Amino acid sequence: MRPNADSAPQRIMVVRCPSLCDPDTSTAGPQAARLFERVIGAVTGFCPNVEAAELGVCAFGARGPARYFGGEGVLASKIIAAVTELGVESRVGVADGIFAALLAARRADPASPVNPASPINPASPINPAGPAGPAGPVLVIPPGGTAGFLAAQPVSVLADQDLAGLLKRLGLLTLGDLAALPASDVASRFGDAGEAVHRLARGLDLRPLAARPPADDLSVAREFDPPEPLAEPVVFAAKTLAEQLHAGLAARGLTCVRVQVRITWADGEESSRLWRHDGLLTAAGVADRVRWQLDGWRAAPPDGQYAQGGIGMLRLVPDQVVRATGHQLALWGEAVVSDRVARAAMRVQAMLGHEAVLRPVTGGGRNVSEQVSQVPFGEKREPPLAVGPPWPGRIAGAAPGVVYPVAREAEVTDDARRPVTVSGRCVLSAAPARLVIEREPPRRITAWAGPWPLSERWWDAVAARRRARFQLATDDGRAWLAVVRDSRWVIEAGYC
Amino acid sequence: MLPALRDLLPRGGLARGSVLAVPEFGLLCLALAAGASAAGAWCGIAGVPEAGLAAAVGTGLDVERTLLVPDPGPAWPQVVASLLEGCELVLLRPPATAPVQVRRRLEAVLRRAGGVLLVAGDWPGAQVHLRVITQRWTGLGDGHGRVRACCAEVTADGRGEAALTRTRWLWLPAEDGGVTLADPVDIPVPGSPVTHAPPGLRAASAG
Repeated sequence: MRPNADSAPQRIMVVRCPSLCDPDTSTAGPQAARLFERVIGAVTGFCPNVEAAELGVCAFGARGPARYFGGEGVLASKIIAAVTELGVESRVGVADGIFAALLAARRADPASPVNPASPINPASPINPAGPAGPAGPVLVIPPGGTAGFLAAQPVSVLADQDLAGLLKRLGLLTLGDLAALPASDVASRFGDAGEAVHRLARGLDLRPLAARPPADDLSVAREFDPPEPLAEPVVFAAKTLAEQLHAGLAARGLTCVRVQVRITWADGEESSRLWRHDGLLTAAGVADRVRWQLDGWRAAPPDGQYAQGGIGMLRLVPDQVVRATGHQLALWGEAVVSDRVARAAMRVQAMLGHEAVLRPVTGGGRNVSEQVSQVPFGEKREPPLAVGPPWPGRIAGAAPGVVYPVAREAEVTDDARRPVTVSGRCVLSAAPARLVIEREPPRRITAWAGPWPLSERWWDAVAARRRARFQLATDDGRAWLAVVRDSRWVIEAGYC
Repeated sequence: MLPALRDLLPRGGLARGSVLAVPEFGLLCLALAAGASAAGAWCGIAGVPEAGLAAAVGTGLDVERTLLVPDPGPAWPQVVASLLEGCELVLLRPPATAPVQVRRRLEAVLRRAGGVLLVAGDWPGAQVHLRVITQRWTGLGDGHGRVRACCAEVTADGRGEAALTRTRWLWLPAEDGGVTLADPVDIPVPGSPVTHAPPGLRAASAG
C-alpha cells in the first residue's frame, strides 16, 4: 500500500464527516477532535495506513482494501456503517488522486445541503462519469474518469481563493478551462501557485499520500533479574537487542535517525542518551555505544560500581523513525571523518555527553567570539552567521589567540587613577594608563587604540548591543581586546 | 610543522609519541598544532575553552580536522586517552599538574597511538619545553593604530637530543596571520613607540 509514483494513478478513498469539519455545526474544538480520533480508529480497522487530511477528513490508498472487501462501493458502505455506529455521519469519495477524492467526498450526497463554503451550483452535472457505487453518501469516480469529473468543477473549489477569483475574471470558470491551457503558459503567468493548480486541474497530485504507519512501539527491551552489576552481560544483550531492533525496522522499510539507549537501574531510576544512527550502525555499533555509555556512568576505577546499584532493564528506542531510503556519501564537501576519529569522539561523548565534543565552524560576524562557532560532533556544521556578506565594523588586523568564552571584568584607569569613561558620543574621559583584569596584578598600558563603536541589532530591543571597543597593549608584552558596554570595561580577548 | 618553528625542535619536527610542554596557553600552542593540522593530522583540543580558533586558522589550522572538548571535567585523563586514539595531536591544558601515575599512563597511551601530546601547562617529563620569553605587539600607538603583528622570542629546551637550548625571534603572528622567522633588523625595540615605522611592513618587505 505504499504510494508509488511510477504506477498507475493511485486510487484514494476519502472519508469526510461534515458534522466535524464544518465550522458552523455544533460540535467543535476538542470534542470534535476526540470524536474524529475515534472515526480514524474505526477507519483504521479497514486500512491501517490512514492519513488525516484535516479535522473531519481522512484519506487512504483504496486499491488494496477495496480488493479485499470486494469493491470500492462495498468498502465505502462498510466504513460508513462503522462510522455511523459512533454517531457520526460521513460521506465517502473515491477517485484517482487525493484532490479529486476530496472533492468527490464533498459532493457525495446530492440530497445533503451544499456546504456554504463551496459555492457550487447543485444543479450542475457534477458527476459526468456517473456514480458507480451505491447511491447515497458515496461518490466513486471510476478509474480514468477523474479528469472528466474535475473538468466540470468550478475554479472556486481551489484552496487559493485569490487565484480562483483572478481565474474567474480571466474567464476561466471551471478547472477544465484551466486544464486546457498549456502548462508552460500557466506557469509563466501565475508562477508556482499556477503550476500547482494546473497539476490539480489535470488530475495529477501535488504529492503522494503520506500515510503514517501506525505508531507501533518499535523499541526493544531486555530485563535483568536480578539486576546486573557488570557491564559486559548487558553489552552482550545489547547486541541481540540491536539486531531485533534493526530487524523490526527493516521489516517495515524504516530506519531511525537516532537511537535512544535507556537504562532502568535497580533503584528504579532511569538514565538515557541519544545516539546518532542514520541507519548506518550495525548491531555491534549499537552495542559499542551501550558499552561506552555504561562506562561513562560508572564511578572512577577504584570503586568501579554503579551508584544506582545494578542494571534492571536495557531498552533501545528508535527515535525519529523515517523511511529507509538508503545512504550515499556526498561526492564532494564535508571532510570524511575516519572511523578512528569518530570512535574517539563518540567515546568522549559517551563519557561527557553529546554536547561535550565540538567541531568548529568558521562563520561571519563582527565580534571575535562569533566568527568561530562550535557544533556538537555528529551534527550538521553550519555557521549561524554567513561568511559571505561583509561585516563592517569587524576589527581588522591580527586575530586574538585567546578568546574568553565569558568576558573578563576589568578596570581601566588613567594616570590619576580615575576610571576611564566613554561618553555616548564615543569621547574618552582620559587616555587609559592602567589595566587591572579581575584580580590579577595591575598592568601599565603602553599603547592603545580606539574607541571603535559598534551598535548592533538596534532594531531589536532585546538583542540590541551598543559597545565601544579598544585594543590595549600592556607592559608585559601582551595586547588585549577591551570592550566598554553599559559603562563597564570587560576584556573579550587576549593577543598572546 | 610550520617552517618557522622547525629550527626550535630537535630533528625539525614533532616526534611521534613525544610530549611538548608550553607553560601557558597562547598562540604558540595553536601554531604548533596548526603545523600538524596543515599536514593532514587531526587535532584534539581539550580543556581550552578560550582557544582563539580564528587566529589558529590564520596560522594554518584546518577546522575540518579539529575536535574540541572545552571541558573534559575530572575524568580528563580518560578523555585525553580517548582523543589520542583518534587524533594525531592533542593539545591539552590539564586542570592541575597531573600526578605522576596519570602522566605515565598517558605517555604509554601516547607511545602506543604514536601521536603527539602538546601540554599547555606543567608536564615534568616532557621531551621539549617551549616558552615565549618576550613578546612585543606592533601596530598600536597612542590612541591610534591597530594590533598588527607580534614579535616573540621563543626558546626551546628539553631532555636528550633537545637538551641544547635554542632561541629564535618569530613573528607570531605576522601581519598575514601566519608565523615567520623575524629578521633581527625588524625586532621592535622595547619601550619605543612602535607605530611610527610599522615593523610588520618592513618584515613583509624583508621576507
